[in-house]
Amino acid sequence: MIEAIGRGTREAMEAIGSAGRLTFEAGRSLRDVRTWGPNFSLQARQLGVDSIPIGILIALFTGVVLALLASYSFTGAVPRYLVGTLVQKTIMLELAPVLTGLALAGRVGANIAAEIGTMRVTEQIDALETLSFDPIAYLVVPRVLAGTLMFPVVVGVAMFVGLFAGWAASLVLLNLSSPEFLKGARLFFDSFDVRYGLVKSASFGFAVTMLASAAGLKTRGGAQGVGGAATSAVVQSAVMILVLDAFWALVWLLGRAR
Amino acid sequence: MNNRSNDWLVGATVLGGMATIVAATLWLQQAEFGQKRSSVTARFRDVGNMAVGNQVVIRGVQAGRVESIALADSGWVTATMKLDPGIKLPPHPVVLIQAATLFGEWQAVVTRREGAPAIREVYNQLDDSVNAPRGALPGAVLPDIAQLTSVAGGIAGNVASVSERVRTAFNDSAARELRLTIKNFSTMSTELTRTVRTQSQNLDIIAAGVRAGVGDLSAGAAALQRSIGRLDSATSRNEIAQIMAETQRAATNLRETSERLNAISRSLQGSEGNLNSILTRTDSIMRRVERGEGSLGLLFKDPSLYRNSDSLILDMRSLLADLQRNPKRYINLSIF
Repeated sequence: MIEAIGRGTREAMEAIGSAGRLTFEAGRSLRDVRTWGPNFSLQARQLGVDSIPIGILIALFTGVVLALLASYSFTGAVPRYLVGTLVQKTIMLELAPVLTGLALAGRVGANIAAEIGTMRVTEQIDALETLSFDPIAYLVVPRVLAGTLMFPVVVGVAMFVGLFAGWAASLVLLNLSSPEFLKGARLFFDSFDVRYGLVKSASFGFAVTMLASAAGLKTRGGAQGVGGAATSAVVQSAVMILVLDAFWALVWLLGRAR
Repeated sequence: MNNRSNDWLVGATVLGGMATIVAATLWLQQAEFGQKRSSVTARFRDVGNMAVGNQVVIRGVQAGRVESIALADSGWVTATMKLDPGIKLPPHPVVLIQAATLFGEWQAVVTRREGAPAIREVYNQLDDSVNAPRGALPGAVLPDIAQLTSVAGGIAGNVASVSERVRTAFNDSAARELRLTIKNFSTMSTELTRTVRTQSQNLDIIAAGVRAGVGDLSAGAAALQRSIGRLDSATSRNEIAQIMAETQRAATNLRETSERLNAISRSLQGSEGNLNSILTRTDSIMRRVERGEGSLGLLFKDPSLYRNSDSLILDMRSLLADLQRNPKRYINLSIF
């Protein structure tokens, strides 16, 4: 048992060390714009633009469900316009960034890990190194940059769609009037809500793409290794999203609440 | 899809996303472009549970939002409020912070000073201006529902305590005593009715007397009114002023007369001295005359002298008669 604990500790330290090293190398490779620049827009489209439909879909259902939940919870003396408040706050601060991040962790994380992992097992990365290409600058940097930039865009659209869906659900399903819903939505609205959600989603994008890239680069073996890398990337990304969510809440939200 | 298409698509998505986020934020913030929003600062000792973003209300209408809350020097807290375009503050404005709902929602109400609730603590806060930030409106925090319910809870506890004591005190013997008291009260009420009836008759008599007295008073008042009327008319013809002027002149004359009398009195005092001296001398002379001293005394006391004098007078008379008859015998008048 003691040996297992030691081995676990060593592996955890190795993972942290390799992640730190990869982050450092990616930062250093940022200077090599000629290598990662041509790939950036392709990655931004694949990771961001192509992910917008799933973000909209998630936000639509989340907004509707939130409005119904709020209406179900607010009974008796609680004014109905607080449905708008709950939808606005919850969508912008929590659900749009986290749910979209988790969905993109599955889609984007698995995609990146599988793609880079396949390149690793088919020795394409070795070929890049042979041709004097920096594999970090060529494969990791554009994906990390695209993820960091495009996650907030997708989340921003999801915020708007989620709020709109909650509004529509309140009008159609709850017989709430538009002024009532908007009064609640505007009552406690602060531009900080938007900033908080976008910064959080940018950190999710960075973490998901970085972890998926690391998992892909570490792939060993054949197709089974690629599958394992994809699974590992999704799980690690999902966990990291929740950890970062708690981190931002503790560091930023708690500071403002005081 | 080539690189150019990707660039365009990514660029359009980023721009569209940013535009959506910015537009949604501005819409939720109710931002209005092209119209200037005025800013108002108020100072408080305490802002209660008010937070940035709470609404500002004027006469029950939302007129803006709380922009910032900051600690200031000398124990003050300043709150800056952004007012909607076109909003004008009432005269002598003060800012009252109060709970807007029962759910922790607070608001800042801008109202006239006279519109503040008549609570001594509120007025103390509004009047407190020691080292207050310059240019800031006076502000106060109204007691929130928690404080009110706390006070109400205390009152309810006191009421419960009193009712418990009443319940303890109101036993069977108390009920019997109460019944007896009610019976006594009935008797007393009957007596009181009789007394009231008698006193009512007395009051009628007194009222008649009072009525007669009032008539007399009325007549007196009429006479007084006539006198006052005359006085008014005299006053109106300036007679009072003339009387006063004449009285003044008489007083002046009287004063002058008095001064003259004083002078006469002083001279009389001198004359009295002289008279006394004369009388003393006269008395001395008379005493000497009485004693027969001196020529006059001899004249009065000696009859021979009187007779000689009388004979002399007679001789003189006959001489005078002879002179009148024969003047040439005595007077020889020659000219040249």
